[in-house]
Amino acid sequence: MKKLTALDLSYGAIFIGLMAIGANITVWLPFLAIPIAGVSVPLSMQTFFSILAGLLLGKRLASWTMTSYLIIGLIGVPVYANMQSGPAPFFGYTGGFLFSFIVVAFVTGALIENISKITLGHSITVALTGVLINYLIGVTYMYISMNTWLGLEVSYGAAWLSMFPFLIKDLGFAVIAGTALLKISSHLPSLHQRAS
Amino acid sequence: MSSKIIIGQYVPSNSVIHRLDPRVKLVTVFLFVIFVFFANNTLSYGWLSVFAITSALLTKINLKYIIRGLTPIWFLVIFTFLLHLFVTHEGQILFQIFGLPIYSGALIQGGAISLRFFLLILMTSLMTLTTTPIEITDAIELLLHPLKKIKFPVHELALMMSISLRFIPTLMQETEKISKAQASRGVDFKTGPLKERIQAVVPLLIPLFVGAFKRAEELAMAMEARGYQGGEGRTKLRELSIRRLDWSAMLVFLVVIIGLFLFRQ
Repeated sequence: MKKLTALDLSYGAIFIGLMAIGANITVWLPFLAIPIAGVSVPLSMQTFFSILAGLLLGKRLASWTMTSYLIIGLIGVPVYANMQSGPAPFFGYTGGFLFSFIVVAFVTGALIENISKITLGHSITVALTGVLINYLIGVTYMYISMNTWLGLEVSYGAAWLSMFPFLIKDLGFAVIAGTALLKISSHLPSLHQRAS
Repeated sequence: MSSKIIIGQYVPSNSVIHRLDPRVKLVTVFLFVIFVFFANNTLSYGWLSVFAITSALLTKINLKYIIRGLTPIWFLVIFTFLLHLFVTHEGQILFQIFGLPIYSGALIQGGAISLRFFLLILMTSLMTLTTTPIEITDAIELLLHPLKKIKFPVHELALMMSISLRFIPTLMQETEKISKAQASRGVDFKTGPLKERIQAVVPLLIPLFVGAFKRAEELAMAMEARGYQGGEGRTKLRELSIRRLDWSAMLVFLVVIIGLFLFRQ
């Protein structure tokens, strides 16, 4: 196995920072808080950044980066959504989304690595796959957690329905992630080699 | 906005808990999180609560501050308690609220689960209140060291975490600067449909990415210029050592665990 270089580590660290910003993006962009049923719900861009990590860093570095992101939050740095930290977010009903970022980064990275010549269609398809994996794991965990330790009886369909507005948002961001990949990689030659 | 954001909740002090080796704290908290699930009666819960509250007092951190740090959790604790109050139907009916019967079993079970949650969060937050994130990453690196055998890049991940601790505040400042710069150029989507709001993120993202990657590349170059070659043969500025205080803390914790198993049914 190839050793992680200084450049890999710096990119990883940057993505941990981007994940922290993405989780709390409404602090800087208040217009991303969407009113749903009268309550202003802050959107997060974690899914977007985990997909982009997979696309830009490749499966190995990206999944290690996401693992580090989760550990950093676990040891008390407020990098999760709403400036949360510690083990509590993992026990909540959205904890599955946190775990899924590792899988999302790995799968999107693995998929993009297998494509020799990346087109816009490819990168968007891969990004959309990432979102689906994110929600498949996240919503299933939500269903399981609600029906076991949180003691709520909710059907699987209802769990999906409650996350549907967020799914739309993340699909939208995924399209941007796919487009951004090609834009960014042409800006930075070092990433360009990796991306294509 | 970003001035409100404090990275890490560490409160500097020189208490007994602060001086403990971070590895000892990490392992103790980890074991506590597991053993708290073994408590099953008043005595064992009480025993663990005494341990947790004594530890909290020993940190010499203002109790108000600790409680305030737990604010996001109160909601969950109270929510689980109320949920059990209305869902569980065991034991005798104690009284009725708006025609809903409240069972004694529900009170006990709801109380127990809320207390367990509270203890979990209290102990883990004591860890981060008394230990700097750098100390914790050092401790994680040393504790996970055996995993190197199975090709788990322990040193690299610990270093990546330390670098990111340095980068997170910088990136946050940069985000704020860019969003203000773009606002001054007239980028303003305070309202509008979801699609437009999502697209409005692009003018923020592109400069943020380009800036961040430039930073990463400069850092990597600086690391290589100083001869960074990975973990092999690297020495540390802060060496961790297990002292008498740490041994006694471990002994106390062992007594707590033995007590737990004596008191539980």
